[in-house]
Amino acid sequence: MQLLVQNLLSVGLHHYLILAVVLFGIGTFGVFMRRNALTTLMSIELILNGGNLTLLAFARSHQDMRGQALALLVIAVAAAEAAIGLAIVVGVFRNRHNTNIDELNLLRY
Amino acid sequence: MIAVATSDLASLLMQVAQVQPVPASSLTPAGWTPAWAFWILSALVVVGAISTIAQRSLISAVMSLVATFFGLAGLYATLSAHFLAAIQVLVYAGAIMVLFVFVIMVLNRDEVERVSDRGLLDKAIGAGALVYLAVRLGEVIASPVGPVSRMSKPAPEFGTVAKIGEYFFTEFLFPFEAISILLIIAVIGAVVVARTVVSRPTTGYEVPNAAGRAGEGGDDHADGDAHGAHGGH
Repeated sequence: MQLLVQNLLSVGLHHYLILAVVLFGIGTFGVFMRRNALTTLMSIELILNGGNLTLLAFARSHQDMRGQALALLVIAVAAAEAAIGLAIVVGVFRNRHNTNIDELNLLRY
Repeated sequence: MIAVATSDLASLLMQVAQVQPVPASSLTPAGWTPAWAFWILSALVVVGAISTIAQRSLISAVMSLVATFFGLAGLYATLSAHFLAAIQVLVYAGAIMVLFVFVIMVLNRDEVERVSDRGLLDKAIGAGALVYLAVRLGEVIASPVGPVSRMSKPAPEFGTVAKIGEYFFTEFLFPFEAISILLIIAVIGAVVVARTVVSRPTTGYEVPNAAGRAGEGGDDHADGDAHGAHGGH
Protein backbone atom coordinates (compact mmCIF):
# COMPACT_ATOMS: atom_id res chain seq x y z
CA MET A 1 0.00 0.00 0.00
CA GLN A 2 2.79 2.34 0.92
CA LEU A 3 4.51 1.32 -2.30
CA LEU A 4 1.39 2.17 -4.29
CA VAL A 5 1.10 5.61 -2.72
CA GLN A 6 4.77 6.20 -3.31
CA ASN A 7 4.37 5.21 -6.95
CA LEU A 8 1.39 7.51 -7.33
CA LEU A 9 3.05 10.50 -5.76
CA SER A 10 6.52 10.35 -7.19
CA VAL A 11 6.95 9.67 -10.88
CA GLY A 12 10.09 8.03 -12.16
CA LEU A 13 11.56 6.37 -15.20
CA HIS A 14 9.38 3.29 -14.80
CA HIS A 15 6.18 5.27 -15.21
CA TYR A 16 7.26 6.70 -18.53
CA LEU A 17 8.45 3.31 -19.77
CA ILE A 18 5.14 1.68 -18.83
CA LEU A 19 3.24 4.43 -20.61
CA ALA A 20 5.45 3.95 -23.68
CA VAL A 21 4.76 0.21 -23.63
CA VAL A 22 1.02 0.88 -23.38
CA LEU A 23 1.20 3.24 -26.36
CA PHE A 24 3.22 0.71 -28.34
CA GLY A 25 0.76 -2.04 -27.47
CA ILE A 26 -2.27 0.01 -28.48
CA GLY A 27 -0.56 0.87 -31.75
CA THR A 28 0.34 -2.76 -32.45
CA PHE A 29 -3.21 -3.77 -31.65
CA GLY A 30 -4.51 -1.19 -34.11
CA VAL A 31 -2.16 -2.34 -36.86
CA PHE A 32 -3.19 -5.96 -36.48
CA MET A 33 -6.91 -5.55 -35.87
CA ARG A 34 -8.06 -2.68 -38.03
CA ARG A 35 -8.55 -3.11 -41.75
CA ASN A 36 -8.49 0.49 -42.93
CA ALA A 37 -5.18 1.66 -44.36
CA LEU A 38 -5.54 5.11 -42.78
CA THR A 39 -6.20 3.69 -39.32
CA THR A 40 -3.18 1.45 -39.78
CA LEU A 41 -1.03 4.49 -40.55
CA MET A 42 -2.34 6.25 -37.44
CA SER A 43 -1.52 3.19 -35.35
CA ILE A 44 2.02 3.28 -36.75
CA GLU A 45 2.28 6.89 -35.58
CA LEU A 46 1.24 5.71 -32.11
CA ILE A 47 3.98 3.07 -32.17
CA LEU A 48 6.61 5.62 -33.19
CA ASN A 49 5.51 7.94 -30.41
CA GLY A 50 5.84 5.13 -27.91
CA GLY A 51 9.42 4.68 -29.06
CA ASN A 52 10.02 8.41 -28.84
CA LEU A 53 8.71 8.52 -25.29
CA THR A 54 11.16 5.76 -24.35
CA LEU A 55 14.05 7.67 -25.94
CA LEU A 56 13.18 10.87 -24.10
CA ALA A 57 12.63 9.14 -20.75
CA PHE A 58 16.03 7.44 -20.97
CA ALA A 59 17.64 10.66 -22.14
CA ARG A 60 16.22 12.42 -19.09
CA SER A 61 17.20 9.59 -16.80
CA HIS A 62 20.77 9.35 -18.09
CA GLN A 63 21.13 13.12 -18.50
CA ASP A 64 22.17 12.48 -22.09
CA MET A 65 20.92 14.81 -24.81
CA ARG A 66 21.68 12.31 -27.55
CA GLY A 67 18.32 10.68 -26.90
CA GLN A 68 16.57 13.93 -27.72
CA ALA A 69 18.54 14.32 -30.95
CA LEU A 70 17.56 10.77 -31.88
CA ALA A 71 13.91 11.50 -31.08
CA LEU A 72 14.02 14.46 -33.46
CA LEU A 73 15.32 12.16 -36.20
CA VAL A 74 12.49 9.72 -35.43
CA ILE A 75 9.95 12.54 -35.82
CA ALA A 76 11.45 13.40 -39.24
CA VAL A 77 11.27 9.75 -40.31
CA ALA A 78 7.66 9.60 -39.10
CA ALA A 79 6.81 12.66 -41.18
CA ALA A 80 8.36 11.06 -44.28
CA GLU A 81 6.54 7.81 -43.56
CA ALA A 82 3.20 9.61 -43.20
CA ALA A 83 3.70 11.48 -46.47
CA ILE A 84 4.62 8.35 -48.44
CA GLY A 85 1.97 6.22 -46.76
CA LEU A 86 -0.80 8.70 -47.43
CA ALA A 87 0.32 9.10 -51.05
CA ILE A 88 0.17 5.33 -51.47
CA VAL A 89 -3.30 5.26 -49.88
CA VAL A 90 -4.49 7.94 -52.31
CA GLY A 91 -2.96 6.09 -55.26
CA VAL A 92 -4.50 2.79 -54.21
CA PHE A 93 -7.87 4.45 -53.71
CA ARG A 94 -7.69 5.88 -57.25
CA ASN A 95 -7.15 2.43 -58.70
CA ARG A 96 -9.25 0.22 -56.44
CA HIS A 97 -11.80 2.64 -54.91
CA ASN A 98 -11.10 0.98 -51.60
CA THR A 99 -8.65 1.34 -48.74
CA ASN A 100 -9.31 -2.01 -47.13
CA ILE A 101 -5.89 -3.60 -46.81
CA ASP A 102 -7.41 -7.07 -46.82
CA GLU A 103 -8.33 -6.66 -50.46
CA LEU A 104 -4.94 -5.45 -51.62
CA ASN A 105 -3.65 -8.88 -52.55
CA LEU A 106 -2.49 -8.31 -56.13
CA LEU A 107 1.12 -9.23 -55.30
CA ARG A 108 0.21 -12.07 -53.02
CA TYR A 109 0.02 -15.06 -55.32
CA MET B 1 8.60 63.57 -1.50
CA ILE B 2 9.45 61.75 -4.68
CA ALA B 3 12.76 60.68 -3.24
CA VAL B 4 10.96 59.19 -0.24
CA ALA B 5 8.55 57.37 -2.52
CA THR B 6 11.34 55.93 -4.62
CA SER B 7 13.27 54.83 -1.58
CA ASP B 8 10.12 53.17 -0.27
CA LEU B 9 9.68 51.45 -3.61
CA ALA B 10 13.30 50.40 -3.61
CA SER B 11 13.05 48.92 -0.13
CA LEU B 12 9.85 47.16 -1.13
CA LEU B 13 11.59 45.70 -4.18
CA MET B 14 14.48 44.64 -2.00
CA GLN B 15 12.08 42.84 0.31
CA VAL B 16 10.38 41.12 -2.62
CA ALA B 17 13.74 40.11 -4.04
CA GLN B 18 14.82 38.67 -0.71
CA VAL B 19 11.85 36.31 -0.54
CA GLN B 20 13.31 32.93 -1.18
CA PRO B 21 11.55 30.95 -3.90
CA VAL B 22 9.98 27.72 -2.75
CA PRO B 23 12.55 25.00 -3.32
CA ALA B 24 11.45 22.69 -6.07
CA SER B 25 12.08 19.62 -3.95
CA SER B 26 9.30 20.60 -1.57
CA LEU B 27 6.72 20.80 -4.34
CA THR B 28 6.73 17.12 -5.10
CA PRO B 29 8.31 14.14 -3.41
CA ALA B 30 10.29 13.35 -6.53
CA GLY B 31 11.59 16.87 -6.74
CA TRP B 32 11.53 17.39 -10.49
CA THR B 33 8.04 17.25 -11.90
CA PRO B 34 4.57 17.41 -10.43
CA ALA B 35 3.15 13.93 -10.30
CA TRP B 36 -0.39 15.03 -11.10
CA ALA B 37 0.83 16.47 -14.42
CA PHE B 38 2.15 13.07 -15.40
CA TRP B 39 -1.06 11.30 -14.41
CA ILE B 40 -3.39 13.72 -16.19
CA LEU B 41 -1.29 13.76 -19.34
CA SER B 42 -0.84 10.00 -19.42
CA ALA B 43 -4.59 9.50 -18.94
CA LEU B 44 -5.18 11.83 -21.89
CA VAL B 45 -2.62 9.93 -23.97
CA VAL B 46 -4.00 6.48 -23.20
CA VAL B 47 -7.66 7.44 -23.67
CA GLY B 48 -6.80 9.26 -26.90
CA ALA B 49 -4.81 6.32 -28.24
CA ILE B 50 -7.59 3.83 -27.47
CA SER B 51 -10.13 6.16 -29.02
CA THR B 52 -7.91 6.47 -32.11
CA ILE B 53 -8.02 2.78 -32.90
CA ALA B 54 -11.63 2.28 -31.74
CA GLN B 55 -13.45 5.07 -33.57
CA ARG B 56 -15.52 4.14 -36.57
CA SER B 57 -15.40 7.62 -38.08
CA LEU B 58 -11.96 8.45 -39.44
CA ILE B 59 -12.22 12.15 -38.63
CA SER B 60 -12.97 11.32 -34.99
CA ALA B 61 -9.97 9.01 -34.99
CA VAL B 62 -7.73 11.80 -36.27
CA MET B 63 -9.04 14.20 -33.65
CA SER B 64 -8.34 11.62 -30.94
CA LEU B 65 -4.84 11.27 -32.33
CA VAL B 66 -4.36 15.05 -32.14
CA ALA B 67 -5.39 14.96 -28.48
CA THR B 68 -2.93 12.11 -27.93
CA PHE B 69 -0.13 14.11 -29.50
CA PHE B 70 -0.87 17.16 -27.36
CA GLY B 71 -0.73 14.96 -24.28
CA LEU B 72 2.57 13.51 -25.49
CA ALA B 73 3.94 17.00 -26.02
CA GLY B 74 3.09 17.78 -22.40
CA LEU B 75 4.83 14.60 -21.30
CA TYR B 76 7.92 15.56 -23.30
CA ALA B 77 7.88 18.89 -21.49
CA THR B 78 7.81 17.10 -18.13
CA LEU B 79 10.91 15.25 -19.32
CA SER B 80 12.72 18.58 -19.88
CA ALA B 81 12.51 18.11 -23.64
CA HIS B 82 10.91 21.46 -24.37
CA PHE B 83 12.19 21.70 -27.92
CA LEU B 84 10.85 18.23 -28.69
CA ALA B 85 7.50 19.22 -27.17
CA ALA B 86 7.28 22.21 -29.50
CA ILE B 87 8.30 20.08 -32.48
CA GLN B 88 5.73 17.47 -31.51
CA VAL B 89 2.95 20.05 -31.61
CA LEU B 90 4.22 21.68 -34.81
CA VAL B 91 5.08 18.61 -36.85
CA TYR B 92 2.71 15.97 -35.53
CA ALA B 93 -0.39 17.81 -34.34
CA GLY B 94 0.09 20.42 -37.05
CA ALA B 95 1.53 19.08 -40.27
CA ILE B 96 1.00 15.33 -40.22
CA MET B 97 -2.52 15.48 -38.83
CA VAL B 98 -3.56 18.11 -41.39
CA LEU B 99 -2.22 15.76 -44.06
CA PHE B 100 -4.35 12.96 -42.62
CA VAL B 101 -7.44 15.17 -42.58
CA PHE B 102 -6.81 16.19 -46.19
CA VAL B 103 -6.53 12.60 -47.34
CA ILE B 104 -9.66 11.60 -45.43
CA MET B 105 -11.54 14.48 -47.03
CA VAL B 106 -10.27 13.43 -50.48
CA LEU B 107 -11.26 9.81 -49.99
CA ASN B 108 -14.50 10.83 -48.26
CA ARG B 109 -15.38 7.36 -47.09
CA ASP B 110 -16.11 6.10 -43.65
CA GLU B 111 -15.22 2.61 -42.73
CA VAL B 112 -17.93 0.03 -43.23
CA GLU B 113 -16.51 -2.76 -41.13
CA ARG B 114 -14.44 -1.90 -38.16
CA VAL B 115 -12.70 -5.18 -37.57
CA SER B 116 -12.51 -7.70 -40.34
CA ASP B 117 -13.62 -11.27 -39.82
CA ARG B 118 -10.76 -12.49 -41.96
CA GLY B 119 -7.14 -12.93 -41.00
CA LEU B 120 -7.40 -15.16 -37.98
CA LEU B 121 -3.61 -15.45 -37.84
CA ASP B 122 -3.30 -11.69 -37.47
CA LYS B 123 -5.85 -11.73 -34.69
CA ALA B 124 -4.00 -14.53 -32.95
CA ILE B 125 -0.78 -12.52 -33.17
CA GLY B 126 -2.55 -9.43 -31.85
CA ALA B 127 -4.11 -11.32 -28.95
CA GLY B 128 -0.75 -12.89 -28.17
CA ALA B 129 0.94 -9.50 -28.19
CA LEU B 130 -1.75 -8.16 -25.89
CA VAL B 131 -1.35 -11.04 -23.44
CA TYR B 132 2.42 -10.62 -23.51
CA LEU B 133 2.02 -6.91 -22.88
CA ALA B 134 -0.30 -7.56 -19.93
CA VAL B 135 2.09 -10.09 -18.42
CA ARG B 136 5.13 -7.86 -18.76
CA LEU B 137 3.25 -4.85 -17.42
CA GLY B 138 2.09 -6.89 -14.45
CA GLU B 139 5.66 -7.94 -13.76
CA VAL B 140 6.94 -4.38 -13.93
CA ILE B 141 4.14 -2.98 -11.79
CA ALA B 142 4.50 -5.73 -9.21
CA SER B 143 8.25 -5.31 -8.94
CA PRO B 144 9.40 -2.90 -6.25
CA VAL B 145 10.37 0.43 -7.72
CA GLY B 146 13.45 1.46 -5.88
CA PRO B 147 15.17 4.82 -5.72
CA VAL B 148 17.15 3.81 -8.81
CA SER B 149 14.39 4.90 -11.14
CA ARG B 150 13.97 8.33 -9.56
CA MET B 151 15.37 11.01 -11.77
CA SER B 152 17.72 13.63 -10.46
CA LYS B 153 17.51 17.27 -11.33
CA PRO B 154 18.78 17.93 -14.86
CA ALA B 155 21.66 20.19 -15.69
CA PRO B 156 20.61 23.74 -16.60
CA GLU B 157 21.47 23.30 -20.27
CA PHE B 158 19.58 20.01 -20.55
CA GLY B 159 16.91 20.11 -23.25
CA THR B 160 17.88 23.44 -24.76
CA VAL B 161 17.83 24.01 -28.51
CA ALA B 162 21.48 25.03 -28.47
CA LYS B 163 22.57 21.68 -27.06
CA ILE B 164 20.51 19.72 -29.60
CA GLY B 165 21.97 21.83 -32.41
CA GLU B 166 25.44 21.18 -31.08
CA TYR B 167 24.85 17.44 -31.32
CA PHE B 168 23.42 17.75 -34.81
CA PHE B 169 26.47 19.57 -36.08
CA THR B 170 29.04 17.34 -34.42
CA GLU B 171 28.15 13.80 -33.51
CA PHE B 172 24.89 13.50 -35.44
CA LEU B 173 26.09 15.25 -38.59
CA PHE B 174 25.75 12.23 -40.85
CA PRO B 175 22.23 11.25 -39.68
CA PHE B 176 21.25 14.89 -39.96
CA GLU B 177 22.32 15.07 -43.61
CA ALA B 178 20.86 11.62 -44.30
CA ILE B 179 17.51 12.67 -42.89
CA SER B 180 17.46 15.69 -45.19
CA ILE B 181 18.03 13.43 -48.19
CA LEU B 182 15.33 11.10 -46.89
CA LEU B 183 12.87 13.98 -46.61
CA ILE B 184 13.60 15.11 -50.18
CA ILE B 185 13.11 11.55 -51.45
CA ALA B 186 9.88 11.27 -49.47
CA VAL B 187 8.49 14.52 -50.87
CA ILE B 188 9.36 13.61 -54.46
CA GLY B 189 8.10 10.07 -53.98
CA ALA B 190 4.83 11.26 -52.49
CA VAL B 191 4.27 13.61 -55.43
CA VAL B 192 5.08 10.87 -57.94
CA VAL B 193 2.91 8.24 -56.27
CA ALA B 194 -0.09 10.48 -55.65
CA ARG B 195 0.12 12.23 -59.03
CA THR B 196 -3.15 12.06 -60.88
CA VAL B 197 -3.15 9.85 -63.96
CA VAL B 198 -6.71 10.57 -65.06
CA SER B 199 -5.63 13.12 -67.67
CA ARG B 200 -3.15 10.76 -69.30
CA PRO B 201 -5.30 9.34 -72.18
CA THR B 202 -5.70 12.75 -73.81
CA THR B 203 -1.95 13.14 -74.20
CA GLY B 204 -1.59 10.23 -76.59
CA TYR B 205 0.57 8.02 -74.39
CA GLU B 206 -1.85 5.19 -75.01
CA VAL B 207 -1.18 5.00 -78.72
CA PRO B 208 2.16 3.13 -78.71
CA ASN B 209 0.80 0.53 -76.33
CA ALA B 210 -2.34 0.04 -78.41
CA ALA B 211 -0.26 -0.31 -81.56
CA GLY B 212 2.06 -2.80 -79.91
CA ARG B 213 -0.84 -4.88 -78.69
CA ALA B 214 -2.62 -4.79 -82.04
CA GLY B 215 0.52 -5.55 -84.03
CA GLU B 216 1.71 -8.67 -82.27
CA GLY B 217 1.35 -10.54 -85.55
CA GLY B 218 3.22 -8.05 -87.72
CA ASP B 219 6.10 -6.29 -86.03
CA ASP B 220 6.97 -3.91 -88.84
CA HIS B 221 3.60 -2.24 -88.94
CA ALA B 222 3.44 -1.95 -85.16
CA ASP B 223 6.82 -0.24 -85.05
CA GLY B 224 5.82 2.08 -87.82
CA ASP B 225 2.61 3.01 -86.00
CA ALA B 226 4.41 3.58 -82.75
CA HIS B 227 7.00 5.83 -84.36
CA GLY B 228 4.29 7.67 -86.18
CA ALA B 229 2.46 8.28 -82.94
CA HIS B 230 5.59 9.60 -81.29
CA GLY B 231 6.35 11.80 -84.25
CA GLY B 232 2.86 13.21 -84.23
CA HIS B 233 3.38 14.46 -80.71
